[in-house]
Amino acid sequence: MAAADSPSAALRRRDLCSRGIRLAGKMRSDVIDLLDTYVERQGLDASASVAAVEGVPAAAAERWDEQTGTQRLLDNLAAYRAFRALLAQMLEEQREQLGEADAALGRALAAVLLQVSAFAYHLEELLRLESRGPPSEEGAGPPPPPHLGLFERKLRGLGVLRELAQWAVRSARDLRQLAKPSPGSSSAPSPAESP
Amino acid sequence: MFSAWNWVAHGLYLLLNICFLEVSGGLVQSCGHIIPESPVLALGSNFTALCILNESCLDFGNIYANQIIWKIKNRVVPKEQYREINRTVSSVTFNDTSSLATPLTCNILADGQIEQNIYGITVTIGLPPEKPKNLSCIVHQVSKLTYPMTCTWNPGRHTFLDTHFRLKYRWPQENFPDCIPKDVNNSCTITDVQFFVNLEVWVEAANALGKAESDPLVLDPIEIVKPLSPHNLSVNSGILPTVLKLSWENRISAAVMKLKFNIRYRIIGDTNWMQVPPEDTASPRTSFSVQGLRPYTEYVFSIRCMKEDGVGYWSDWSEEKTGVTTEDKPTKGPPIWRIIDASHSPASWTVQLMWKALEPFEANGVILQYEVTVRAKSSLSSPPEKYSVNTTNLTLKLPNGTYEVTVIARNRVGASPPSVLLIPASNSKAPVKNVRTLPKDGKLWVGWTAPNSYVLKYVIEWCLVSNSSDCITEWQNEPGNVQGTYLKGDIKPFKCYLITVYPLYADGQGSGQSVKAYLQQDRPSKGPTVQTKKVGKAEAVLTWNHLTVDEQNGFIRSYTIFYKTIDGNETAVTVDPSKTEYTLSSLTSDTLYTVRMMAYTDEGGRSGPDFTFTTQKFGKGEIEAIVVPVCLAFLLIVLLGVLFCFNKRDLIKKHIWPIVPDPSKSNIAQWSPQVPAKHNFSSKDQMYPEGSFTDVSVVEIEADDKKSFSEQDLKPFDLLKKEKSTSEGHSSGIGGSSCMSSPRQSVSDSDEGEATQNTSSTVQYSTVVLNGYRDQTPVQVFSRSESTQPLLDSEERSEDHAGGGDSATQRQQYFKRNGGQDETNTDRPCFERTKQITPANEGDLVGFAQLQISGQSSQPLGIELEKNTQEAALSDVLQTSTEGQTVRPETVEGSPLSVDEMPKSYLPQTVRQGGYMPQ
Repeated sequence: MAAADSPSAALRRRDLCSRGIRLAGKMRSDVIDLLDTYVERQGLDASASVAAVEGVPAAAAERWDEQTGTQRLLDNLAAYRAFRALLAQMLEEQREQLGEADAALGRALAAVLLQVSAFAYHLEELLRLESRGPPSEEGAGPPPPPHLGLFERKLRGLGVLRELAQWAVRSARDLRQLAKPSPGSSSAPSPAESP
Repeated sequence: MFSAWNWVAHGLYLLLNICFLEVSGGLVQSCGHIIPESPVLALGSNFTALCILNESCLDFGNIYANQIIWKIKNRVVPKEQYREINRTVSSVTFNDTSSLATPLTCNILADGQIEQNIYGITVTIGLPPEKPKNLSCIVHQVSKLTYPMTCTWNPGRHTFLDTHFRLKYRWPQENFPDCIPKDVNNSCTITDVQFFVNLEVWVEAANALGKAESDPLVLDPIEIVKPLSPHNLSVNSGILPTVLKLSWENRISAAVMKLKFNIRYRIIGDTNWMQVPPEDTASPRTSFSVQGLRPYTEYVFSIRCMKEDGVGYWSDWSEEKTGVTTEDKPTKGPPIWRIIDASHSPASWTVQLMWKALEPFEANGVILQYEVTVRAKSSLSSPPEKYSVNTTNLTLKLPNGTYEVTVIARNRVGASPPSVLLIPASNSKAPVKNVRTLPKDGKLWVGWTAPNSYVLKYVIEWCLVSNSSDCITEWQNEPGNVQGTYLKGDIKPFKCYLITVYPLYADGQGSGQSVKAYLQQDRPSKGPTVQTKKVGKAEAVLTWNHLTVDEQNGFIRSYTIFYKTIDGNETAVTVDPSKTEYTLSSLTSDTLYTVRMMAYTDEGGRSGPDFTFTTQKFGKGEIEAIVVPVCLAFLLIVLLGVLFCFNKRDLIKKHIWPIVPDPSKSNIAQWSPQVPAKHNFSSKDQMYPEGSFTDVSVVEIEADDKKSFSEQDLKPFDLLKKEKSTSEGHSSGIGGSSCMSSPRQSVSDSDEGEATQNTSSTVQYSTVVLNGYRDQTPVQVFSRSESTQPLLDSEERSEDHAGGGDSATQRQQYFKRNGGQDETNTDRPCFERTKQITPANEGDLVGFAQLQISGQSSQPLGIELEKNTQEAALSDVLQTSTEGQTVRPETVEGSPLSVDEMPKSYLPQTVRQGGYMPQ
């Protein structure tokens, strides 16, 4: 890892990590609340199983503890960019579907979308501090939405939110790993910290 | 805004005015215009306007630029500011736009004099916006997920223009829509913000003259959150009586921020809050146990929170919740005192034990009962007597002795430590000294000097001294190490308190030392009523009663007596307050004084009612000194007078009581020997004890008028005079009537015939009518009076009075008539009364005859006199006419008049029964 060695960069990195962790925590909290609202408003069963959403990277990683910090950041960035697009799409669909009738759900979706966007910004900044710079968004977005039915769109939205909640947990752990003073420690996390 | 509309209205008005008909019935067309059109200018800048005339107007109206006049409102702009650029364009320049006003018009002098308006513009003057300053933001949590952020700033000076403010904010990678203030220009609220990302916030102000931006504020909104206060606060009592457990819910997610707390509490009814140490609540939590509380006490709790690291704002205090700690044993025994009444019996006391209810913080619960134990110290072997009472006093009848009394308070949890009081046989220990009081902070402080011995504690006893109520004793305990305390009770101002301090020792108590005190003094509610006890000529002794305690309102420091006369100055005398009497001296005698009296406390005085008194005219003994000598002198004078009179009685008798000849000794008495018995009671009878009495009849001689007094008529008078002169001094017998003549005149018998024969008018005759004495047949005699005795009115009156009321009335009427005759006939010789002077025959009876002279008909009267007299003697009534002209016997016979009604009779009067009747 080619981390910047200047004290200000270290402070900046620590600050970004710290706030990223808290943002991830709040995002998870908000997504959990949003899931309840979404299931209720969309008339879904909270226990319904949803297949993996296409275009959303899975939060689970087989060798999570072996990942480098940059790799973690890149994975997170890719995921949140995808979530940003998916949530924007969901928000659009929600507005088309319910109009202004369910403003609370729309506001909650918009709030989560903002947090996803903010978290992506955190990741990009951290990547910059890694002297790597964020990758271009071109071609990194999710595939164009297939033509799905209404129920399928609802289930897809449910899957997006669930996966986002998972990613919020993982991201917090990734950033906590990155925030550790020794860069090498990130390669040997304790099993208890694994998601 | 208003000014802009105003200017627009002016502009429209001008546009209408500057248009005119170029051709009659043609189109309305402007003859020129101004550049720039309605400019907005910065205040203080320079400005140039151009007025451009249309070519068509030049040809038609011979209008050129040199004729243009610029006006601001109706004020002509000085020509120096004009410049003719060419024949159709004129400019005007203002170096400072502050001199500008709207409208600015371009006018022209048509035909040399007529001023026509060509065009006008509105000029808007203002300022560019200032850079907004002091931008600050705060995030108010309004619900669990809603965090609006409100930013405020200083908009700067007033620009006089429509200035728009916008709150701008953005993330580094994302812009957000601006926040536009509503109705204000210094704050705006962003409805929702996201935390943990730095947000750049700034304010942009813009108007027609420019825009300005504030310095950007970069912040993470999580750092400026004012969270909602915790809610659903509950208070639960724990096992311990000094602990209460608080529980609550936080309304901000721990994922958003971790919180720290402040907990405050107070005893209900108290206003001062206590606070749990902040370090004990500096970590996130939803419950806390507050310790160190009082048992059985109700507390009020409240809580607030903020971000754990202290960045941000404290929430508001939560709603207040109360909780009560559980009970505990009383921490101390009740203070105890006693009142000993030994007046009923010398061998036993009535002891009233009193103790105070414990304060709540001492009782630690509800006191269920008090346990009193009385143990006699003298006989330790005897078992103590125990009492359980629910009240705070107990009255016992105890034999004279020393006792140890203990009182224990008991609540549900347990009993208090005992309070011990020794009841001694006598207060033989050392008392406190120098008891003093001092009002301080609305309370009454009592201080004393402790005795040398160790004092266990002090008892301060006090009561309100009043005339209207008994002295109800209150008391309090103080520890033995203090030498002063505030009285704990409802101490009222203007009331007198008697305060007693007792020292209590381990083996007895000292006697009490008392002092009177006021918490606050005032003027007396009334003044003393003064009155005099004794008033003298120059001094007065004043007395008054002391004011009652209720009236004093403080310590009476002095009395002042004010006294004055009605018109004099008031004099004041200060009197010692212990006195109830004072003597005013050096007063003026016989003078009305007004006196009043004032009683003074430290706060002032009040006057009593006025009292007035008058000093005496004479001093003590002065009257006696005057009266006694006067009386003595009077008595002396009287005595001297009496002695003088006694010595000179002969001389006095000669002057006062001249020797009056006794008519009874006169000659006539020899031929009329009968003497009426009734005259024995007259004074003359006393003078002449021989029993003879003299009746006098007066014959009035009346003249009707002066004319009737002819010389012929007056002859008898001349004759009388002659005879009078011859008989004066030695005549005797029947005296003639006399009038202003010498009393010694007398008429002899021989004159009677002559007078009767020679005078036709008046004859000096006495008509002597003899009534029978008692039942005797009267012998009527006509005789001429030969007496020369003067007729004394006083004597006759006294006789008349003695003789009977009828005679007196008649006589009075007669003399009155006679007097009236005197008044009317003062210019004539009048008549004479015969006066009989009979010095040698005083014991004889003398009859007085009344001689009446009628001037007008003296002769007929003289003729008829005898006849009339005879008739009168028979009828015992004689009546003559008022004028004496006509005598009508028939009238007399027909209607005999009463004595009072008897008309003026100038005829010789007959003597009626009981009248004057020579006998």
